[in-house]
Amino acid sequence: MNRELESLDAVFREMPDLKVEHTGPRRTRIQVEADALPTLLELLKGRAGYLHLSAISCVDWPDTEEFELVYHLWSYQVSNLISAHTRIPYDPGRYVSVYDLHAPAVYFERDIHEMFGVWFEGCPDQEPFILTEWQGPPPMRKSFDTVAYVNDTFEWREYQPEWANDPSGGKG
Amino acid sequence: MRPENYKPVQHSASHEYELYFGPNHPGIEGNYALKCVLSGDVVQSLRADGGYLHRGFEKIMEERLWIQNVALVPRICVPDPVPMEETYARAVEMLGGLEIPKRAQWIRALMLEASRVCAHLFYFGGHAATMGMYSNMFWGVTDRDLILDIFEEITGARIYHMYITPGGVRRDLPEGVLDRLSKVLDYVESRLPEFDNLFFDNAVVINRATGVGTLTTEQALSWGVTGPNLRACGLPFDVRRDDPYLIYDELDFDIPTETAGDAWARTLVRREELLQSIRILRQIIATLPKVGGPIRCALPNPLAWNVPAGSVYARTESSKGELGFFVVSKGGAKPWRVHVRGPSSMHAVHVLERLGPGSRLEDVAQIMFSLDACPPEVDR
Amino acid sequence: MSKGSFLRPLKALAYLGRPAVTLPMEPRPAAPNYRGFHVNDWEACIGCGTCAQICDNEAIDMVDIPELKADPLAGIKPRRPAIDYGRCCWCALCVDICPTGSISLSREYVHVGPDLNTYYILPDEKGIHGLNYPKGWSKSPDADLLDLKRQTMGEMEPQERLQSFAEMVAGFTPEAALMEASRCIQCGMCHDACPSHMHAPEYIRALWSGDAEEAVRQIYRTNPFSEVCGRVCTRRCEDACSLGNRGEPIAIRWLKRFAMDSLNHEQVRRIAAEGRELAPSGRKVAIVGAGPAGLTCAYDLARQGHAVTVFEALPHAGGMMRYGIPEYRLPYDRLDDDVDVIASLGVEIRYKTRVGHDISMERLRDQFDAVMIAIGLHKGRSTRVPGTNNENVIAAIDLLRDVTLGVAVDVPKKAVVIGGGNVAMDAARTLARLQTRAYGAVQVELVALEPADAMLADADEVREAKEEGVVIVNSRGPRCCIINGERLTGLETVRCLSIFDNQGRFHPLYDHEDAQVHEGDVVVEAIGQMSDFSLLGDKLTEKLDWNGPRPRIDQDGRTSEPWLWAAGDMVEGPDVIHAVAAGHRAAASIHNEIMVREKTP
Repeated sequence: MNRELESLDAVFREMPDLKVEHTGPRRTRIQVEADALPTLLELLKGRAGYLHLSAISCVDWPDTEEFELVYHLWSYQVSNLISAHTRIPYDPGRYVSVYDLHAPAVYFERDIHEMFGVWFEGCPDQEPFILTEWQGPPPMRKSFDTVAYVNDTFEWREYQPEWANDPSGGKG
Repeated sequence: MRPENYKPVQHSASHEYELYFGPNHPGIEGNYALKCVLSGDVVQSLRADGGYLHRGFEKIMEERLWIQNVALVPRICVPDPVPMEETYARAVEMLGGLEIPKRAQWIRALMLEASRVCAHLFYFGGHAATMGMYSNMFWGVTDRDLILDIFEEITGARIYHMYITPGGVRRDLPEGVLDRLSKVLDYVESRLPEFDNLFFDNAVVINRATGVGTLTTEQALSWGVTGPNLRACGLPFDVRRDDPYLIYDELDFDIPTETAGDAWARTLVRREELLQSIRILRQIIATLPKVGGPIRCALPNPLAWNVPAGSVYARTESSKGELGFFVVSKGGAKPWRVHVRGPSSMHAVHVLERLGPGSRLEDVAQIMFSLDACPPEVDR
Repeated sequence: MSKGSFLRPLKALAYLGRPAVTLPMEPRPAAPNYRGFHVNDWEACIGCGTCAQICDNEAIDMVDIPELKADPLAGIKPRRPAIDYGRCCWCALCVDICPTGSISLSREYVHVGPDLNTYYILPDEKGIHGLNYPKGWSKSPDADLLDLKRQTMGEMEPQERLQSFAEMVAGFTPEAALMEASRCIQCGMCHDACPSHMHAPEYIRALWSGDAEEAVRQIYRTNPFSEVCGRVCTRRCEDACSLGNRGEPIAIRWLKRFAMDSLNHEQVRRIAAEGRELAPSGRKVAIVGAGPAGLTCAYDLARQGHAVTVFEALPHAGGMMRYGIPEYRLPYDRLDDDVDVIASLGVEIRYKTRVGHDISMERLRDQFDAVMIAIGLHKGRSTRVPGTNNENVIAAIDLLRDVTLGVAVDVPKKAVVIGGGNVAMDAARTLARLQTRAYGAVQVELVALEPADAMLADADEVREAKEEGVVIVNSRGPRCCIINGERLTGLETVRCLSIFDNQGRFHPLYDHEDAQVHEGDVVVEAIGQMSDFSLLGDKLTEKLDWNGPRPRIDQDGRTSEPWLWAAGDMVEGPDVIHAVAAGHRAAASIHNEIMVREKTP
């Protein structure tokens, strides 16, 4: 146990620019520059036992025109979850795939590509999965307005219930 | 794909043919399709095709108040909705720094384990059905109904309970419900020998399921397999034990494992888990009457509730594996982002596409079901 | 691992001999907590629409029911929720948030029909099919979604209060204000109940989102006396507040005060000037009386580009707000701020100018395009019981005015106050402070006609007066002042049996056997006020139509003389926010009138 914890410290020593924060029991948040993230993941996997890529999340930040990518990594050995946060600019909206390091990444990268339009260099599969017949913009972006889309696409049902003739029903 | 968008493709002459397995198929759980390329009846390659149940939950949740999403989250997974409610609620609590009362924690654990029993009963039936054995399915669904009765009593609804909210639960337990749950558990337990006769000790079933869809330990780890599917490969990992939430560290339970890694091992693990869940529920039934106090912490008016800015990743062990909710707040009245890591998203797409090739057509449904792939939760 | 058996599955054949699982055709009874179709108790429902707001599927519409009675003061809107079962998901958040608890889900859950219109229902207490199914999921104190408790606010201890006329309540801290603002459900009952229709939901929401400037902007849409109303308003809004049905209403008044306290005076001046008409209209309006009605009217007209002159008999503006309300409730520098904002829009206020004495109404009529009088109620009424002509029997309003003006007051060691309203409380509590300063002890007795549970004064006022040592004696009517030689020594009262006759007219009945003497060097009468109409002059008084003691006005505040408007306490009875509302109405009417009329040469 201690050995693994030390190895995590060794990872942090090796990458001094990380912002590390322990946010709760078994939760560590790391802020990392985009170009350093693959190295971090490799070190975490190779040296500290963070084998399980639980998920990759994407967050749209239109104010700064950035996507935030969050890699959630779990270590079965020390029971700790690291969420590694990094940001990439809208333009060009490209990032490197971590598929070669964590095979499950392909699923999440494909999802993010489909929903946010981020292109992952080296990802073996970025075919549409859910939105196979969708022509519009990546819908999870904040700029996609669901309500406007619904109003443009669907009709609101008009009802003519009987009670509308006498809503008070004698209660007035 | 919508039928009107389907265009027949002219393939050149080959020994291979393409077969759409689903989206409307009795062997498929939910609306989901597998595009198989076969030679004879051996699968050459397999592509998962989702989206038939896509409701855009993650997007919709950004448009709704924190409390309103309580009504939305259970719908992410039909057979096992409680973990969805729990994980969302816990994520919001982590963001807001809310301390949930003890009693609420115990009630939530009760709901979670009862839901696991439901889901596993459903699973046995479903797994048997993929081999053409429907009695098991009828039994499983009938017995599950008794637990749904308990859910109805506690929450006022049978499937989508919308019962666990950030801060606790919405109603205290009705009088005597623990006794009735206890009787249901006794009954479900007493039914297991009959399930054994029909299913778990059935030589035909064992033959059909053994060696099907086998995952090695290495594959399981590197493909991101979690939950019972991982434990069927001999790895005793369980979020309840490794990353405990609620009062799970006060409970006594085992983490059953199997080593074969095939469809049969996955079913056997779940049979044991069902018993473990009953064991947990009995502890909860014994403890809950002694845990008094409120069932929810004080919350601000939900119409004007700004959850502090930040991001959290909450995890729960659902009946299907690791469920994760990554929730981001910008400090507003609505979530800025909710990312759902459906427990079976990895199993139904990534793992299934890799396990499929080499298997036989008649096993495809079984492999999918034995992984407990849940399309509504893949699609979200 | 077990290889299994081929024969054991056959045991399941035993099921052939078991009865099949069958269910009856009629619906199975639902659990007591079931979430079926909605029921709504129309008597309890107030039409606030909170159910529609919380509904995550927009399944609830509020339907106007013209036959129902609207009662803005009680916080009731004539509308009821209709539910679209094409959208409803039975989450029952509507039930858990309902401020009254009128809406519930029943244990009825079957509705079948080919006509989709039947899936859109207007639930009443009988349920979707009128079958009176029992209630299922209904309001539970376990998990009420509303925050029914008000935030607490610091206030001085009674002993400390008595030492001075310093403001006794501290105002909300920013944290408390935020929490208090967050309780609001935005139903708008307060808006409807407010005489001036203040945009309370909007400014409360702005405070909640941390934008005090926007809050003040919303406040200034309808009320230039926000510093004042943030402190002493009669707050019809809080009486109408939906949260008051089962809990404590939002502290709307204190939130308004918090908003005003959050900004500096320059910011408020800037906001008040936003959107004003910069080009002069060339019209001139005279306003008599610099109270809330007069100055509100002046504010509106000045914003529209008219030249407004206000004539005020006393040395400062504010009218009853300054000369009637004691400073511990309303610090005068805050009133000065409100007045300064109005003056900063170009309103000219001529102080110490008594119309009817220094300038006649006829002169005003000739020199201005329109004239508005809002002279308030500055003359105290007397009970006229024997002995009230003694010089030590004084009117509460005179006492309060003298204290404000800084006139030396002979502080009585013992005082008796007649009256049970807010002015009586003001007088009693002012005396209590003066006595504490002069003698270190409070000896004030307040005799009220009303029983303790029907006092006219605010409950807070009564409580605070008692805390400060004022002895309140209920259900007593004055019989006479006791005069010993020339000297007043007290008041004799008799028990009041009832106040109104069976037609609701004021007609107190007394038990003359039950007499009691209240010792006092001074008796203060606080039983009501009237206006001093002497400024009008005989000719105008003769010409005007009267409605009892008041000039008759139309709904816009115009008198029977086309050039003359009247507003405020003198025509409507005493209340700041009513006066503000009347000021707006008169201003709108004056503006419409003078813009179509030729300029006065």
